[in-house]
Amino acid sequence: MTENEKRGSLPGLTGLIAGAFVILGVFLWMFVSKGLLFVAGLGAFGPGILRELGWLGDQDEFQRQAAHRAGYHAFLVGGLATVLAYSALEWWEETLPVSSEWVLLILIVLWLTCLFSALLGYWGARKTAARVLLVFGSFWALFVLANVVTEATTNRDFGAAAIGALMGTLIVGPFFILAWAAGRWPRTAGFLLLAVSVFFLFFFAPHGAFQWSTVLVRDSLLMVPLAASGLALLREAPEDAPA
Amino acid sequence: MLDGMTQQELAERVGVTRQTILSIEGGRYNPSVGLALLLADVFGVPVDQLFEIERGERHD
Repeated sequence: MTENEKRGSLPGLTGLIAGAFVILGVFLWMFVSKGLLFVAGLGAFGPGILRELGWLGDQDEFQRQAAHRAGYHAFLVGGLATVLAYSALEWWEETLPVSSEWVLLILIVLWLTCLFSALLGYWGARKTAARVLLVFGSFWALFVLANVVTEATTNRDFGAAAIGALMGTLIVGPFFILAWAAGRWPRTAGFLLLAVSVFFLFFFAPHGAFQWSTVLVRDSLLMVPLAASGLALLREAPEDAPA
Repeated sequence: MLDGMTQQELAERVGVTRQTILSIEGGRYNPSVGLALLLADVFGVPVDQLFEIERGERHD
């Protein structure tokens, strides 16, 4: 692979190493110690710091411009999120829990804003939305496959496995269909994506009191990527050339 | 094909990604002066034969 191919193939080697750090860090945070989240931070912010120091030159000028603009967007959104969180804690201190999850929430807002802005700036709305949907569809497909295999092998319930496969196809299929539609009918796909994100809002609705798991998982990792992709697609003019 | 080159080949010759070349062609990205000069050099034409300014265009 040439240097340019490495630079253009997302993710390149830098992205793969950084992604491994993020996954490892999240795994350690979930199962070993919450203090080990810094490992994920090394992956999320390390490459950017190395680039700004001039120690890593894996981006061309367009990628750098997209990254710098994304950083500014993350500053604006993250700053707003921080002051809103501060105000909320001050106003509703009796009802809102004071915990380190607030820091985590702002970190996720910062990171998602930066990531999405960079992807939209570099790939454009259609390609970004299509790839987000492919990632979502692939992850759901893995869950469905694991469930089907478990039913078939461990429980020996082939009927349940077949039903699970069928149900899984109904859930996973739309993601891949929308990924294909995002390139051809961006506005229609955008409306549908917004509808799906609203569906997630109610499907994963919390029962009872405020739950951090709902905010961090449902809102940040499920709703926001789909809603952001949908909004970006709505801004696409139908007559634009494909991205 | 661009003057006998693929977008990937052009990208490699000027040191950028194929996505960058796509974005320049699609009007989503205005290259730097250096990159514009490189592109003109590759095609053997003056810069103003490759790029033109649209009146009222916003320069991001």
